[in-house]
Amino acid sequence: MPSERELQISPIVQESLMQNSRTLSNLQSLTASLFGVSAGILGLESYSGFLFYLVFSLLTAVLFYVLRVAPTSLAAGKAPLDTSRYFRGPYEFWAGGLMNGLAGFILTWTLFYGLVRA
Amino acid sequence: MPFLSKTTTAFGGLLLAHACYSAREHTTLQSLRAATAATLTSSPAAAVSLPVDIVIETIISTLIILLGLVLATRPLRPLEWRVWAGKIEREGEEGFTDGSGAADKGFVGNPFSVLESRPNFVDIRKQRREFAEWVQKGTAQQ
Repeated sequence: MPSERELQISPIVQESLMQNSRTLSNLQSLTASLFGVSAGILGLESYSGFLFYLVFSLLTAVLFYVLRVAPTSLAAGKAPLDTSRYFRGPYEFWAGGLMNGLAGFILTWTLFYGLVRA
Repeated sequence: MPFLSKTTTAFGGLLLAHACYSAREHTTLQSLRAATAATLTSSPAAAVSLPVDIVIETIISTLIILLGLVLATRPLRPLEWRVWAGKIEREGEEGFTDGSGAADKGFVGNPFSVLESRPNFVDIRKQRREFAEWVQKGTAQQ
């Protein structure tokens, strides 16, 4: 998290911050529902279902980084896996979606488990 | 490229629907077989897990839809003010288009345009010289 002094020296654009966060959270909630559908079809139960969600959420973050963040971020001289060109902190980018999409995941997971198995 | 991402997502959705239908058919068949086996013999029917081809199809289709959704996201904007303003200065409106080619609604243009059009900074002598040249060119053509 940048300090007050750093924010004064290199200010940030609030509109860009909002748009980037919204893009990421939209993607995360959409993909969480999708993973719920897959977990329901596969018939996963208890811990393996949550492990599935964890793995695929991290995969989403990596894919988003590779396709959207990396081409310009690396060209601007940032280190690999550094998202500071577009996002405030690394935690928000890599793990923020886990809590964000968990409810949608469980909803579609139970729905499709019931549809397929019942 | 909206066409590419939409095609990818639709193809993945088709695969996922097929996998879902296959899994449903498989469980129905299994329960039916278990019921007939229970009436014929008294041996308990073993629970059969999902066939591996349905598992593979589900995971592959999930990955394909994931790719399509990630491709469909709007381009990100630089966070730091100096990077953002430099991008506007270099690329103009083309740097802030979304997937379909139209400029973003939030695009505000050059943040320093107020400074550049400030009346104190107008070079009035240069403008007068240009006007005189324009008048001379007009009279020479006539």
